[in-house]
Amino acid sequence: MQQRFLDPSILAGISGLDLVAKTVVDGFVAGLHRSPDFGFSQEFAEYRAYTPGDDLRHIDWNVFARSERMYLKRYRGETNSPLTVLLDASNSMQFGSHGVNKMEYARYLAASLFYLALHGQRDAAGLITFDDEIRNYIRPSTRQGQLQRLLAGLEQAEARARTDFAKPMRYFQELVKRRGMVLIVSDFWEPPESIIRTIEPLRFHGNEVVLFHVLDPEDVRPKLNGPSILVDMETEMRLEVTPDYTKKEYREKIGAHLADLRDRTQAAGMGYCLLMTDRPLDDALREYLTLRGGRK
Amino acid sequence: MGLFAPWFLAGLAGLAFPFYLHLLKRQTTKPKPVSSLMLFESRTQSSTRHRRLRYFLLLSLRLLVLLLLILAFANPFVDRNAAGLSSSRLVLLVVDNSFSMRAGTRLAEAKEAAMSVLAGKSAAHAQVAAFGSQFRLMTQAIEDQSALRAAVQAIQPGDGHGNFGELARAVRAMSESVHTPIELHLFSDMQRGDLAATFSDMALPANVKLETHAVVSKAQPNWTVESVDAPGQVWGQAAKPVHVQAVIAGYGTPAAQRTVSLVVNGKTTATKTVAVPANGRATVDFPALEVPYGFSRCEVRIDAADAFEADDLRRFAVERSDPQKALLIHNYGDNRSPLYVGAALSAAAQSAFVLESINVNEAADRQPSNYAFVVLSDLNTLPPLLVNSLTGYVRSGGSLLIAAGTSAGGRSQIPIFGAHIVETRDYSRVPGRYMAVGSSDSSYPAVAQAGGWQGVKFFYALDVDPGEARVIVRLGDQTPLFLEKRIGEGRVVLFTSGLDNLTNDFPLQPAFVPFIEQTARYLGGSERQGGARTVDAYLELRNAREQGQGVEVTDPEGKRPLTLGEAASAQSFQLTEAGYYQIRLANGRQDEIGVNPDPKESNLDVIPDDVLALWRGNGGQTVVGASAPGPAMPHKTAQTLWWYCMLLVLAFAFAESALASRYLGTQREE
Repeated sequence: MQQRFLDPSILAGISGLDLVAKTVVDGFVAGLHRSPDFGFSQEFAEYRAYTPGDDLRHIDWNVFARSERMYLKRYRGETNSPLTVLLDASNSMQFGSHGVNKMEYARYLAASLFYLALHGQRDAAGLITFDDEIRNYIRPSTRQGQLQRLLAGLEQAEARARTDFAKPMRYFQELVKRRGMVLIVSDFWEPPESIIRTIEPLRFHGNEVVLFHVLDPEDVRPKLNGPSILVDMETEMRLEVTPDYTKKEYREKIGAHLADLRDRTQAAGMGYCLLMTDRPLDDALREYLTLRGGRK
Repeated sequence: MGLFAPWFLAGLAGLAFPFYLHLLKRQTTKPKPVSSLMLFESRTQSSTRHRRLRYFLLLSLRLLVLLLLILAFANPFVDRNAAGLSSSRLVLLVVDNSFSMRAGTRLAEAKEAAMSVLAGKSAAHAQVAAFGSQFRLMTQAIEDQSALRAAVQAIQPGDGHGNFGELARAVRAMSESVHTPIELHLFSDMQRGDLAATFSDMALPANVKLETHAVVSKAQPNWTVESVDAPGQVWGQAAKPVHVQAVIAGYGTPAAQRTVSLVVNGKTTATKTVAVPANGRATVDFPALEVPYGFSRCEVRIDAADAFEADDLRRFAVERSDPQKALLIHNYGDNRSPLYVGAALSAAAQSAFVLESINVNEAADRQPSNYAFVVLSDLNTLPPLLVNSLTGYVRSGGSLLIAAGTSAGGRSQIPIFGAHIVETRDYSRVPGRYMAVGSSDSSYPAVAQAGGWQGVKFFYALDVDPGEARVIVRLGDQTPLFLEKRIGEGRVVLFTSGLDNLTNDFPLQPAFVPFIEQTARYLGGSERQGGARTVDAYLELRNAREQGQGVEVTDPEGKRPLTLGEAASAQSFQLTEAGYYQIRLANGRQDEIGVNPDPKESNLDVIPDDVLALWRGNGGQTVVGASAPGPAMPHKTAQTLWWYCMLLVLAFAFAESALASRYLGTQREE
């Protein structure tokens, strides 16, 4: 019953990304039959001897009173993972063959992830939107009002220009300094080896990197009623294509492309999640929580 | 089966347009956006075939609509037996009302014959027309017998010259719009003079059947005043006696004595008897025509001795007025120019000008506007006051003749005319010692009447830069000799040699008198006056300079045939009736002319029966030799099919609209 609230076509009817995120996350969590307080923080983990430089606020003064030795009380929640979402805002993300296009779907997804991270996991969350340049950067934080800033950043993200991972990648590495989770939301219309080669450095810095591959159903199975002129939304190039080609050769090619991207991603130690815009968002959230769990 | 207008088949090239729309145009429209073309490959071969199959029905309909439309314009027809179509034929009654039909009771008999034919075709679709010099429809194609009879009765005798070629041309044009068989009944005196120049001009279309109704069967004798030679203008009270010469002609007549009278303003002033040979001509000369000042209506009449009285007179109009004054300004010592120019003007038979010669020192107190034109001869220096006065005179419409002479050689520019003097040409020092005329514009009256100045020797001339001036005569070395230039409203004529016998021998040549006379008439603006014209001739009402100025024409019946718009803009006017026309021209001059019927109408000889039979039976076949009548052809008529083509076009257009809208709906879904 709650799954229907994860359907993108229903979410498209909800105005406001905060409400969309709340609907998605609450629906998703309820569907897990787990407590809404599902989380990993606030649990005692261990004592550690004080070393100069540690924050004095974390010293267990009761132990000091009893033993005159300073120990730090550590919790599991202290091992929080800042979440950074890299959102592709290129022209191709505007494509949509039904009610929700890829950009809208990516917004819902990012908003839901932010909501889950900030309210559920108490994780810091940040956003980078890019196309062939970095368009917007919101530093990961847990401060009050961060969710609103992130949602406003998502609202402002407008699809334009073309995707180019290589150019903004060097800025990613400067901006994503703290190790955490980096989720890249894009339609990844580039050769897989090029994508992996470009993104791999993020993984080398100790980040958990997940590629959320957002595709429209017609990206995978184009429907043509007859020979048509196709226009590339990013390059404006034109090509005449027949239905016969899309039914046979294209499907083989796209299948090979997706498999190649998945294999290369996993081989590089990164996560990969293919999301079709006509499917609910729970796969993406589950992937996030799985990753989050792995970083406890 | 054939086509009336096969050249419209060129429109078949337009069939390429639907092909363009279906096969090419659509390929470039409705592009479909995709995220990326990274994994797509171009496939074009099958697309064209696919579209053609998909829209084949629509394409076929569009091609059919265009094809039928072109076919309708090409006007297809099928030959059908005329007998089968007799019920739908048009009976066209044409009554000849040319001038010869005034003889005896010819027109009345023709109308009576038309009425009897009309009575025999009581249920027919008929149309009445009159035919003189022009074909004039009197009714629409109707079945109302009373209206048709009234139209026949309304036909009045005319003064024009009939031409069966013109009749055939009008019927050919009519048959292209009527599309039903035409039964043409021609009621005429079948005058031989009405035959066209070639028999092929009289060919009638295949769907026209001609029946001739001749009101006379043989030629009738007729005497007529064939022509009159008389001046249009007489100048001054002491003018020389004016001769009037008339030619009396007889057609099919025996030798006879005829009494010829000269009538001026209704009063017989002279009578002569002349012997006219059998079927011949005689000339009558009236030595002195006495007319009062103003316009006089004159006639030469012969005594009526035949059935055709209307051609027993010939009209002409004569105007007597005072001669106009012309001014010649010459050098103080120059006595030759006034002598030669004055002698030439007075030697002209109809001297319209009185020359006043003064030297340049006496010219200061003269008003140029008092003279019809001014001649400047061989002037070295001109007082600035005189130059200004003459320039103003020309600009306001005056005319000036400048003869450069030898004295102008010292100047750099011709005064008033404004041409730059390049150099002086003294031909007496070159081998041959003179230069003849090289080229001349024969359309210029002063040159044409003087025989192109052939044989005149020029010893001296100025080479001037013509600029915007019109060069009428050039010497053999291309030196401009005679030029005209318009300045303001007036005109200046420049003669780069002189009017004496020192610079050329022109004054000693016979051509000098007509040159001076025509130049004077041209500059004085009286070259257009004339006494007699022929019916159907065109009268020039204004020249290029006189646009927008009103003219007034009064016909012999006292009516004004021109509307206000025509009076303000018409260049010419056709004289359609015999009699006296009064005209006020655009330049303000009054004129009166006598208009006479074409003399060919007086020859009442009739067309031989075999020629008439050939015309009747020949139909649309062009005859090479009129003397060899061809065999009778089975009479067929063409029935046009364009109407059916247009009905099919309408039907297919509806089908195309329905089908196209269905396809458009499909495209919107895409």
